[in-house]
Order: sequence, then C-alpha cells, then structure tokens
Amino acid sequence: MSAAKDTRDDGPRIMPFPVALHYEMPAAPAITRYGEALIDGRIIGQRCTGDCGLVYVPPRDYCPIDVIELTAADDVELGDHGTIVNFTVVTPVQYPGQEETEPFARVSIALDGPGGMLQLQDVLDTPVSEVRVGMRVAAVWRPEGERNLDELAAGGWSSTGGGIEGWMPTGEPDLDVSRLAGKGF
Amino acid sequence: MVDVAIVGYGQVPSVRCTEITETQMVLDVTQQALRMAGVDRHDIGFTVSGSCDYLAGQAFAFVQTIEAIGAWPPISESHVEMDGAWAMYEGWTRLQEGDVDLVLVYCHGRSSPGTPWQVWPLQLDPYHLAPLGLDPWSLAALQARALLDAGVASERDFAEVVARNRANAVDNEYAQVSGKFDVDALLAEPYVRNPLRRHDLPPISDGAAAVVLASRDRAAALAERPVWITGIDHRIDIHQPGMRDLTRSESTTRAAQAAGLADRPVQVAELSAPFSPQEVILRDALALDGSVEINPSGGALAANPVMVTGLVRVVEAARQVRERGRDRVLAHATAGQALQQNLVCILEGP
Repeated sequence: MSAAKDTRDDGPRIMPFPVALHYEMPAAPAITRYGEALIDGRIIGQRCTGDCGLVYVPPRDYCPIDVIELTAADDVELGDHGTIVNFTVVTPVQYPGQEETEPFARVSIALDGPGGMLQLQDVLDTPVSEVRVGMRVAAVWRPEGERNLDELAAGGWSSTGGGIEGWMPTGEPDLDVSRLAGKGF
Repeated sequence: MVDVAIVGYGQVPSVRCTEITETQMVLDVTQQALRMAGVDRHDIGFTVSGSCDYLAGQAFAFVQTIEAIGAWPPISESHVEMDGAWAMYEGWTRLQEGDVDLVLVYCHGRSSPGTPWQVWPLQLDPYHLAPLGLDPWSLAALQARALLDAGVASERDFAEVVARNRANAVDNEYAQVSGKFDVDALLAEPYVRNPLRRHDLPPISDGAAAVVLASRDRAAALAERPVWITGIDHRIDIHQPGMRDLTRSESTTRAAQAAGLADRPVQVAELSAPFSPQEVILRDALALDGSVEINPSGGALAANPVMVTGLVRVVEAARQVRERGRDRVLAHATAGQALQQNLVCILEGP
C-alpha cells in the first residue's frame, strides 16, 4: 500500500513522462515562391543585388553576406543540371524513424547556369563507391500531378523533396570543380 | 565602471502570427538600431542575442538569425536562452572589459508555431511540476488567488490594470491589443482560470527588438541624447512556487536596490507584467507611488512576444528619455514562472 514499501521492494520507481509538442509554421513568402516553382518543374533561386552577387537557393529574401533585403524581383531561374562538389556517406544507425538500412550518399550540387547550390541531395541508382566530386548529374523530376510540397520545410533549406526524386549521373566527363570556387561555396 | 548608453534601438509590431522568418524580423530591427546609432555593422565589437529554441521547436534555431547581422568574415557573438533584456545585461558586462566600445543586442520570439500551454510547463522542475502540465495561466491564477486571499488586491484592481494598459497601447504602433475598455464590462467576462479572465492574460505574440550599446566616449560622439544605463541588476527567487510568497517579488526589490532605484525618483516605469495581477506585485516590490507613470506603451498585456517583451520594456523606456525628454526611467524584465527572475534597469538622460 505505502509508496515507501514499494520503493524498498522494487528499487527506484520509474515515472514515464512522454512529451509531444506540435508546431505549425506558415511558409515564408520566399519559400512559397520556391515551392510553387518546384510544383511547376522549375528550380528558382535569388541573386544578391549587393557586392557578393551570390545566388541563393531557395530564395530567402535577404543576403547574409551583404546583410541586405532582397525581393521577389531578384528571383532567378536555375538549371536542373549540375556538378557534385561535396558529399558525405552516411552509414545508418537504426534509431527509431530511420528508414535507411544501407550506406547512402548525400551530395552538394552546384547548379549550372546562374549558379546556386543545393545540399543534402540524393544520387539515384549509383553505388556509393562511385559518387565523387566533379560528377555531372541531372534532376529526376516527379511526374507532373504527383509533385507536392509535403516534404518542404518552412525554412526550406535545400529541400527539393516532393518535386525532385533525386539526381541521376549524366555520364558526361567530370568537371574540374576548382572552376566553381567562389560561386556559392 | 565603464559608463554605457543606449544609442540606437528598433522593434517590429507584435502580431499573432508572422509569415516572415525570424531572421527577416531580426534583419529589420537590427538595421533600425544601427541606423539610429549611425554606425556600420562592421563597427560592432560584440553581438549578443536572446531567444528560446522551444518556441521555434528546433534545436539551435537561434543560429539561423545570425545571418541577419552579417557573420562573414567571422564576428564575436554570444547567445542567451533568455529574454533580450538579459542579452543586454551580457552586452553591458562585455563593455565593462573596456576593449570594445560598441555592442549590438537583439532578440526574437515567435510563439505562434507552437502551443504555449504545452511548451511552457517544460521549463518547470521535471519531477514535481512539469508532469502536472502546470501552464503559465494556472500559475498566474494561483498567484492572483494568493493576492486576493491576502487582501492585497481585488479583481477590480486587476481589471483596472488591464483597462489602463490597453488604453495606453492605443498610441503604440507596435502593440497588438489596445482600446478603451470599461472596467465593469471587463469584470462581467467569464473566468479562463479563476480568478483570471481572458483580458488578465497576455496575447500570444511574434516579435523582435534590438538595441545598440556604446561605452562613454563613443556614446557621447554618436548621440545627441544618449540614454545612459546608470543601474542594471537581476536577481532570482527560488524555483518552487510553493516555497515562496507569491504575493511579493523579493528578487525585484533586491535588483532595484542594486540598480540604485532609491537614489532619485523615476518618472516612468515600463514593467514586464504579462498577467495583470503581476503589475500590482511589481509596483509594490519597486515601491512605485502614484507619481510614476506605469507602462505608457501598454506593457506586456498589450503585446507579449516572449523572449522579447523585456527588451521592449528597455526600448520603450529609452524612447521616453530620447524622444520624450524624460530624465530618469525604469525598465523591468521577468523570466521563469510567476515572476521568478527579475531584471531592473535605470535609464537616464544626459
């Protein structure tokens, strides 16, 4: 009956205290424009009008280098081909929610054309051992009508999920990425 | 002691739910503060910010806002998981070292994405209080009940606090809730947490604020009317609300003593009293008589961007000196539950 007796007999008492917090954040205007473009089969970025001239993807309506505001008028259309400039091979640990079981690569892609860089992208149908800096890749778009914004985070950081399945090697010769230095990484 | 003045400040209107990012809000307020100070961001020797990751629901959420202040090439900066008033305290302390003469302080809070009555119990002691789901409204109601039981205040006193603050807020473009309200009509409203009614509670707000601090020579060179911080101190009461007298705020009294409140009367006091009964407690703890104008901005009952509310009191008090010609004013900030931790700051004109 008494708590003291329970404690003596059974050791420390454990009290479960599960906590669940629910957050809902509207997408900022810049991310909304980016998401609408993805649905439309386009990647857009934003070119800084200040000294740095960098292209940010997604748009964020400010430049963190020049510390100025940017607007929708500074949005630019980007290519959906690019070059892998960095990658990480992740060996999954089976924590709750982890769906991957085999090592996989997450790559940074410098886009062709005006520039801009996407991070944490998937390379499709390619053994991890073949992923390399300089590799040329092209976006594999989800079919029209199957694209959605469900996976787009409010902050939108380099998120292409819902619009692009991943990136497929094109077979072109590798690019010397030193040519890309200063273009956004 | 290095003399420190506020030479620039900025804030954005508090709103129930903003659509722009916190980084964009911070860009706005820091640019306002730098422009008013007449300095370039490259002149800043140290930057310090205040916010709470639980509001954004993301670990290290505050790191993103550094983009708003230009951190490349690298800068010297710090962060407190507290209201911006405490970030300002760190900035003031940093200036005491004497090797930097300009500090940028900013803070941001966006309560709209989460559910405040689920988030805030998590700041409580995890064994006895947090599992109860004891939300800030219930704690404030316990505090209000203690005031009523002690015969210190009446429900009419609470309603009068609300009516005055909301009326003051009519002229404040940054306020979220304002208007002329009849005390009898307020008293006819139903309880949300007995003895508190909806209007005794603060609104849920998103907002941001910033100040630029300068040490003596730099401040004198920059501003025609620097707002000198002649006293600043913060103290903390015991965490368990059941182990202190909720009708009093000993930590506020002690902070005010250390800040030199008793030296000369203040003309204005900007108090962080998000729940109306707390203004009664603070007036008593600070021994403010009828000659002191309380919350000309409308205070925390008119806008309560959590983690920003305290620094907004400093900004509003500074406006009284810089824009309205007051000589000596008080700003107060609070943190924790039921006025647990309190900061008092005395601001003076030249």
